[in-house]
Amino acid sequence: MKTFILFLIPVALLGVVIALFVLTGGAGLNAKPAAPIESIDFERTEMHEGTIALTIRNTGPDPLSLGYIAIRDLVATYTAKPSGPIPRMGTAIITIAYPWVRGEAYDIVLFTANAIPFSTTIGAAAETLPVSAITMLSFTLIGLYVGVLPVFLGIFWLPALRKLGPNAFTWLMALTIGLLIFLGIDAVAEAFEKQGGLGSPFQGPGLIGIGGIGAFMLLDALSKRRSLAKDDEASTNERIALRISMGIGLHNLGEGLAIGSAFMLGEANLGMFFVIGFILQNITEGLGIIAPLVKQKPSVKYLAGLGLLGGGPAIVGTWLGGLVAIPAMSVFFLALGAGAVLEVAFEIGKFIAKKSSALPFTIFSGVLSGMALLYVTGILIK
Amino acid sequence: MRKSARKNSVLPVWIGVPGAFLVCTILASCFEAAPTTVSHTSDMSSVHTTFMPGYSQDLGVDGIGFDPMAILEDFDYGKVSTLLDGRTLREYWIVAEATTVEVAPGVYYEAWTYNGRVPGPTIRATEGDLVRIYFTNGMMHPHTMHFHGFHPAEMDGVFEPVLPGASFLYEFEAAPVGVHPYHCHIMPLASHISRGLYGTFIVDPKGGWPKVDREMVMVMSGIDLDFDNTNDLYAVNFIPFYYDKHPIQIFIGERIRIYLVNMLEFDPVNSFHLHANFFYYYPTGTSLVSAEYTDTVSQVQAQRGILEFSYQFPGKYMFHAHKTEFAELGWTGLFEVRDRP
Repeated sequence: MKTFILFLIPVALLGVVIALFVLTGGAGLNAKPAAPIESIDFERTEMHEGTIALTIRNTGPDPLSLGYIAIRDLVATYTAKPSGPIPRMGTAIITIAYPWVRGEAYDIVLFTANAIPFSTTIGAAAETLPVSAITMLSFTLIGLYVGVLPVFLGIFWLPALRKLGPNAFTWLMALTIGLLIFLGIDAVAEAFEKQGGLGSPFQGPGLIGIGGIGAFMLLDALSKRRSLAKDDEASTNERIALRISMGIGLHNLGEGLAIGSAFMLGEANLGMFFVIGFILQNITEGLGIIAPLVKQKPSVKYLAGLGLLGGGPAIVGTWLGGLVAIPAMSVFFLALGAGAVLEVAFEIGKFIAKKSSALPFTIFSGVLSGMALLYVTGILIK
Repeated sequence: MRKSARKNSVLPVWIGVPGAFLVCTILASCFEAAPTTVSHTSDMSSVHTTFMPGYSQDLGVDGIGFDPMAILEDFDYGKVSTLLDGRTLREYWIVAEATTVEVAPGVYYEAWTYNGRVPGPTIRATEGDLVRIYFTNGMMHPHTMHFHGFHPAEMDGVFEPVLPGASFLYEFEAAPVGVHPYHCHIMPLASHISRGLYGTFIVDPKGGWPKVDREMVMVMSGIDLDFDNTNDLYAVNFIPFYYDKHPIQIFIGERIRIYLVNMLEFDPVNSFHLHANFFYYYPTGTSLVSAEYTDTVSQVQAQRGILEFSYQFPGKYMFHAHKTEFAELGWTGLFEVRDRP
């Protein structure tokens, strides 16, 4: 009881200070900005014939009222839903009447009632896909192309890899580490790039930290808890394979999310070349998943499960990205994927360090080859 | 043993995944044809014909703080008296003040005004009249009134800044005949003018102009809402789209004279284009002989002139800057022409 009261004293004092501050209107600090501080995030664009609908979020400190909107130096009429001031962190859908033309670029400037301009750009106008069974099928197909299919293709290397010796096995594991590190770096970079578009209340870097470190620590904790149970080599290998596919799955979720939202806006570069590039790059992910299982005899069911775990989230990601994507979610999932793949790389590193005392250059060349492999295949899709 | 296990474990997946993939592809390609054909054949004309730029809501005189329709035909001849030498004396009282003006629905701009309106009062005198302007600065920055026309250096409103709360008497003879601007001449000039410190000064010839039915003043300008030295909105008589939402009512055959002044900052050239009609143009209004018969005239900063025209047919006719960007950002208006009652 006494401890409780001791804990409560600073809290009570804090209440007093806040009350004092509020009652005196700043307690002597008369710090009012010359112009109101306002901030808007553009979260989603939906284009239909003769209209452009923008979902905006008020990321400023105070409620925000809209003024007028100019598209490409033309004042255009609009309706806002809900109408009236947008509360802090609240969203509104602004539907602008404008006869846009497919393939053209549009600069949209939104002036708030306080005459503060915020702008967004539509790179190339295109009809937004309606949410329908056909769209869902398209999303599923994209997820299948860029996620599931390549991972499974990679898994089919298993019979060939079985023929390799123990050194080759170590090299392969090192290769996987290289792949994962590269994916992790890439995802971190993409998360940081994307967070630049988030309003300050989202605290992009903090969000990336929580997602990345959170995923890393969680997988790490899971591996430590599990390792107490069984510790024969076969089950260790299987657990590692499972974690690799979990990590890759989380990574593919983030990737799918980005592709899905771009596809919905007609901005996705999903040409033949791009999709082939994706298949080529992600096929290496399948390779990574089966690397620890070269010496095992996994069942078909188990392999299929690993493939789905690694590739399937790409489908879920495209759905989420296409239907409900908000940028903060994209950033968070990218960070989650980054943390996950980096933890798995770390895990495999510990695993082969324990096993192979020799062969430092095997590991060096393996890791570097893995990174180089993704770099080269990345040229196709970046 | 090893061999068979491998076969058993891999083969079904080898067939199953590409199989599922193939089925999905075929399914998708079956559906694909439908939406694309629909979007290509759809008729967009309904959207195009109804599309006009403008605000989502109307602006009222209450929010604006003055009546742009009244400004159009509000000529201030001053307090008139006769001097001992027989000349006419015209006296004006003008205060510079900060006025909050609703320039777009819900968007309030702190304009700097002469007598609470932009453009400021249209000061009108006859050539040779003595003009006295009692100017008071009711703002927190120094301001002046700089008239285009003939006057001594100390009446030029450049080197005699009128400090906050102070007053100044401008006195000069109205000359030369024509339509001229006046504006504040305190640095930074672009800001002081852009904020709204300008107006029209008309010097009528002795005996007056040829008779017309109606006279109007139109001052072209821009509004730089976010102070980045780029105009965000454009207008005649300061309020974007005002005469578009509230067409100027005129009659068939009515002879219209427009005193047009360009006070646009930041952009180099402005223009005036009249629809379905031509007008006689008198540059600066300094000659009674028309220089041009046209439907479009351009003016650089502080250029001005007089336009004369009348309409033959009833209906709505646009007038706007033929720099269409300006037109779509507010510098657009309408004449609504009716039969004489």
